[in-house]
Amino acid sequence: MNILEILSYGFIQRALLAGTLIAVLCSVLGVFLVLRRLSLIGDGLAHVTFGSTAIALAFKLYSAASLLVSLPVVLLASLGILKLTEKARLSGDAAIGIVSAVGISAGIMLASVGGGYNVDLLSYLFGNILSITYEEVLIAAGLFCVVMLLLGLFFNDLLAITFNEGLARVSGVRTNLINAVLVMLTALSVVLAMKLVGIMLISSLLILPAVSALQLARSFKACIALAALQGCCSVVAGIFVSFLTNLPTSATIVMLNLLFFGASCGLRRLLGAKSSS
Amino acid sequence: MPVEIVATEGLGCSYREGCVLEDISFTVTAGDYVGIVGPNGSGKSTLVQALLGLVPVSSGAARLFGSRCDGFNQWGRVGYLPQSLHLLNPVFPATVAEVVGLGLLSLKSFPRRFTRHDRNTVDALLEELGIYDIRTKLIGELSGGQQQRVLLARAMVNEPELLILDEPTAALDPETRQRFYQMIADINRTRGVTVLLVTHDTGVIGQHASKMLYLDKRMLFYGSFEDFCHSPEMSSLFGEHSQHLMCHRH
Amino acid sequence: MRTLLLIVLSLTAMAVAGLTGCTRGEQQASTKLQVVTTLFPLFDFARIIAGERAEVTMLLPPGMEPHSFEPKPNDIIRISKSGLFIYTSRYMEPWAETILKGTDRRSLRVVDAGQGVSYLKGSAEVGHDHAGHGDHGTDDHAAGMDPHIWLDFSNAVVIVNNILTGFVAADPANAPLYRDNAAALNARLADLDRRYREGLSSCASRTFLHGGHYTFGYLARRYGLEYRSLSGISSESEPSAAKMAAMVRQIRSSGVRYLFAEELLSPRLTETLAGEAGVEVLKLHGAHNLGKDDVQRGIGFIELMEQNLANLQKGLACRSK
Repeated sequence: MNILEILSYGFIQRALLAGTLIAVLCSVLGVFLVLRRLSLIGDGLAHVTFGSTAIALAFKLYSAASLLVSLPVVLLASLGILKLTEKARLSGDAAIGIVSAVGISAGIMLASVGGGYNVDLLSYLFGNILSITYEEVLIAAGLFCVVMLLLGLFFNDLLAITFNEGLARVSGVRTNLINAVLVMLTALSVVLAMKLVGIMLISSLLILPAVSALQLARSFKACIALAALQGCCSVVAGIFVSFLTNLPTSATIVMLNLLFFGASCGLRRLLGAKSSS
Repeated sequence: MPVEIVATEGLGCSYREGCVLEDISFTVTAGDYVGIVGPNGSGKSTLVQALLGLVPVSSGAARLFGSRCDGFNQWGRVGYLPQSLHLLNPVFPATVAEVVGLGLLSLKSFPRRFTRHDRNTVDALLEELGIYDIRTKLIGELSGGQQQRVLLARAMVNEPELLILDEPTAALDPETRQRFYQMIADINRTRGVTVLLVTHDTGVIGQHASKMLYLDKRMLFYGSFEDFCHSPEMSSLFGEHSQHLMCHRH
Repeated sequence: MRTLLLIVLSLTAMAVAGLTGCTRGEQQASTKLQVVTTLFPLFDFARIIAGERAEVTMLLPPGMEPHSFEPKPNDIIRISKSGLFIYTSRYMEPWAETILKGTDRRSLRVVDAGQGVSYLKGSAEVGHDHAGHGDHGTDDHAAGMDPHIWLDFSNAVVIVNNILTGFVAADPANAPLYRDNAAALNARLADLDRRYREGLSSCASRTFLHGGHYTFGYLARRYGLEYRSLSGISSESEPSAAKMAAMVRQIRSSGVRYLFAEELLSPRLTETLAGEAGVEVLKLHGAHNLGKDDVQRGIGFIELMEQNLANLQKGLACRSK
């Protein structure tokens, strides 16, 4: 099977396009989230999306219309995580754990109180990178532009709060605003991208490219670039490998990211040994 | 008429485990070099953090450049070097130049982008502080002394009128420590920068600072170093012998 | 002292309420046989056999896929209080056997409605048919068995008879009525079978392509259709890019004009495949469960299968008689 033939399928083209856009934005967000110790926020917000989708289905809002409910709920949940870390002095993982447990149990309660649905909730919750529509490619592109534009505008402020929040405040950075921007961009990406490519891909793309880049990066900008590069390469390679080996696509992409992470660790050791000798 | 830079009136902070500071009132004027000293846990760091609005004030008031600290926004006039040991994530992937550049954010408004001129400013300062050679190294790879200088550069890069340094010499060996104090004294003298320096080595700071603030939850002394050395309260606190050792200028 | 009195009073009130509640429940239970079923076909058949003489309920909440179901404490109480519990197999309801372990088997009559049915392996996955992976089910029977036995209407008759045996044993007094109801139901199923055989006898296409999990194997086999699904039986598995492409090629080469999707489940993947190959999507009902609206409308198994037949005839371009 040659590459041109693989590329002749429309669903592959759309997977490549939307997949790389989502991979790049998740990887870049991931660098900030991992350094702020909010790595699991993707999983947490996915659980909240589950709960809010249960509400949406109870009102007979399917697919795109369910966003009318999930988007505001998940944005609020992301701010809730932030407030818990600030006001209740909880660590990020505990705050995420609370919000995610509340999200999933609210969903389960609603599902049983509501007396069932017209469809199977779980099957509507997660997208699949191979079933992206043309409109969803546009959504991914729009999301990419919004997230990248805001990350670009606030880049130095984000770097400052990620390095040290106290120092950032003394440099005139409005830390509450910037924190809110970061988690709300994450929430927006999780809700939209989950419908497109599924949660497994989102949560791994928020973590693995960032931690690999942290192994090798020689500057913050390089770290962002390396993470984006890994995210992008893993999706492209994952789709082709899945084609050639007949393995599930999302799982293949996650495994490739793990492989890249292993390689980064190995490379760091190698470089470390060379520079110290 | 000396210009007021920092002033507090009956300042009190009680956060986390009970009361930390009580009834602190003092005024720092332009060109002062104030050494803030006192035993461990006396609230020295809390005091400067309260001035910067980093911890909440529970009573009284504090002013920076004449405006109340809780609404203060002229951050371009302030440089701050925090206690470094709490600060650094050893795997943070930022270079020395990137970290120092962050100090310039206080001079910018949205969107805060850096220009070539900013990069030149950073390079010039790094050169001046003798750390230009390590500008592309990651902050986590540096020795304690190097990190301290990088953070000092970050605090100074916006050419502040007020420099607040919290235990800046904790990670330094005695020789570097001596050079560091000399450098701060030079900055204070030649550029007219007002300096607040928190430290627990009372003896060394006494040689450089123009004023001493002795703190132990309450303010026990505030005045010139001369007065500090001749204060009967201080001699009863430290004992005559220790006071003599502290005040003996090398 | 006053608080103690309050506690005693409230405890008494609770006990009285509990006792009256119990007696009321027993009165109801004593008049009618309580029957709990797992899946929709079992529920519908049991409901028809019971007529007015027994109370039949279904465990699955509307819309839910049987694999994602998790029994609540209430469900377990409902089962242990019932006189008859009907399920099909551990392939479809892995949670049923766990529940049964916790109940008193002496008072509860359990019917395995699939008893005597020969289960088939589900192996008509796209890309698996020619490549020599056909024997993947032999080492693990539970994983490869197709649980949708009711979609072969001769199996449905076996299920009806199994349920009838359960009813007769649990409530011998009403046995003649149950037998009559079951016989009538079996006649309707036989008629349905005849209409399927006739309705699907002269179709332009005999290729039945399904862009989802393997579900309709029994149905296709009975009426001589060639059935291919995008993925295997497990509802957790996810297709590879290669399988998607193989399905697209199969749709194109077989020249079908419709691709089938399953009701209740998200049609995303099917719609992608249909869009890629330039065909349309038609829905079929797997019947393990009903959507909420269909439950309220009181739709039955035979009506669902009539809808399926209409869509199959449209999708395979059959000449209707």
